[in-house]
Amino acid sequence: MAVSKCTRLTGPLIKQLLDSVDNVLFDCDGVIWRGDQAIPGAVGVINLLRKNGKRVFFVTNNSSKTRKMYAEKMSLLGFDAKEEEVFGTAYCLAMYLKTIIKLEGKVYLIGNNAMKQELENVGIQQTGSGPDLIFGTPSDWANVPLDPEVKAVVVGFDWDFSYMKLNRAMQYLSNPDIVFVGTNTDTRLPLEGGKAIPGTGCIVKSVETAAQRQAQTVGKPSRFMFHCVASQFGLDGARCLMVGDRLDTDILLGSNCGLKTLLTLTGVSTLADAEAHQKSGAPERLGMVPDYYVESIADLLPALQG
Amino acid sequence: MPGDFAFKGCRKIQGSQIIHLLKAKDFFLFDCDGVLWHGEHAINGAPKVVNSLIRQGKNVFFVTNNCTRPRENYVNKFYRLGFTDVIQEQIFSSSYCSALYLRDVAKVQGQVFVIGGEGVRKELREAGIPIVEDEIDATDATIYDCALTQNVKAVLMGHDDKFTFLKLARASCYLRDPECLFLATDNDPWHPLQNGRILPGSGCLTAALEVATGRKATVIGKPSRFMFECISSQFPLQPAQCLMVGDRLETDMLFGANCGLDTMLTLTGVSQMKQAESYRDSKQHTNQNFVPDYVVDTIADFLPAFDVLD
Repeated sequence: MAVSKCTRLTGPLIKQLLDSVDNVLFDCDGVIWRGDQAIPGAVGVINLLRKNGKRVFFVTNNSSKTRKMYAEKMSLLGFDAKEEEVFGTAYCLAMYLKTIIKLEGKVYLIGNNAMKQELENVGIQQTGSGPDLIFGTPSDWANVPLDPEVKAVVVGFDWDFSYMKLNRAMQYLSNPDIVFVGTNTDTRLPLEGGKAIPGTGCIVKSVETAAQRQAQTVGKPSRFMFHCVASQFGLDGARCLMVGDRLDTDILLGSNCGLKTLLTLTGVSTLADAEAHQKSGAPERLGMVPDYYVESIADLLPALQG
Repeated sequence: MPGDFAFKGCRKIQGSQIIHLLKAKDFFLFDCDGVLWHGEHAINGAPKVVNSLIRQGKNVFFVTNNCTRPRENYVNKFYRLGFTDVIQEQIFSSSYCSALYLRDVAKVQGQVFVIGGEGVRKELREAGIPIVEDEIDATDATIYDCALTQNVKAVLMGHDDKFTFLKLARASCYLRDPECLFLATDNDPWHPLQNGRILPGSGCLTAALEVATGRKATVIGKPSRFMFECISSQFPLQPAQCLMVGDRLETDMLFGANCGLDTMLTLTGVSQMKQAESYRDSKQHTNQNFVPDYVVDTIADFLPAFDVLD
């Protein structure tokens, strides 16, 4: 069925779209906030959606906060959100290991405190988090003691990433029975204050290169992020709208899962990017073309208020 | 014919075939790790092979991606392990060649931000290239307050066992300037130690920086041609008279192919005969570039030939 795509969402179309969905999933960075500043109008949109009987969820690739920390940040910025509505990759990765991999054993973790906590919350022990600097000789490094209880190597955002951690991960991964999972492959991580630094994708790629193995990824555009939300809340993909700022993660996830998709232009991707994917006609790029776009999610306000 | 990728022999040779090769070639390029030595132990017979070649008037060079020591340390190692006739001028490491690239090819005007150890830094200093010296050893330094040095015109990624996320972040800041060069000493993903153990190589660190910046590094070391061009700029090399001897198909053999040299795989290191044959039999014709012309079990297989030639 030929559907017109990449349509500007305006006027009566907004109400038409919102009437066709029960659930709205929002990415966070570049959609509802930028760093530590809420996007103007975003709070109003979320509140009004709920008033209009929609369920609202937040789906982010950022692995550096637990759901609790995200809920606290949202509260601070004026968003009314419950922990259960937030799906960050620290939480989703722990759920993936528990429910899909059904991991029995420990994890060697290249990651952060939030990931450590989310793993502990599902009863999975980790080893390796925190600083890990080089000591000894190359022979010592190649012969680092490996914990026999470790059954998975997990990679997320880690300020303390170092050669020694890369080495340990590589040594564990030489055993093909050890599972290799990353939170996400984003190349950059947006910080408070608008700066950006190398993202988890760099760390994952580094470990993949050493281990000569590919990581499974939990974060967008992997379907697991949607599956996590959908299975807990009984969501029907056809009645869901995915709102994001990145074509290769948010929109692609939406397309992969049969959701309606809305691109907001307050973040990473531009309208030109979307149109380029559309014009290409290449099947692997069509999933990155959004159904609709808005300049900012604040554009939804008039229809919600009316 | 040398460099003819359609017909790489992958032939194990010995005896009279080696004699023939020794007569035909004037220039011998050797990789080091896995070819001449394993760590601190010379491979049996290797010192005698190298010393004999030099004494017979052959031009011998050493082409190594290992950037962890400056050349003067390498000379000491060669001597210590019995390769007593080797002099510094014969040694071409990726760190030395990176310095030459920055000085003579890129003609860099400004400072270089180096991620690497003394092996790399010393070579740059000796070539008169200013490097960013204020090291981020302060444990409380973060990306928020890392003061970026002005006038950084190149980032050089080498092997760094002290690699940290902060160094990655700083390097990617410098590389936002498209005029700032992005170089890597080599792309090796891992290196073998004794007993089948391995360690991560520079390739892993370069990969991280490439992802962070969306840019591709210019790789100085094998299999890139540059190290051959370095040697050529100092010595009158004739590709047809060269033999490249190495242990790694994806670096040494490909390097030889890229430079139009005949190649020899020795089986004392990383790659195995099975892997060479697999490339040879593959349908992808570019895989022929990984296939050696000749194979020996060890370079000590040259020794009987010297008895004949002496």
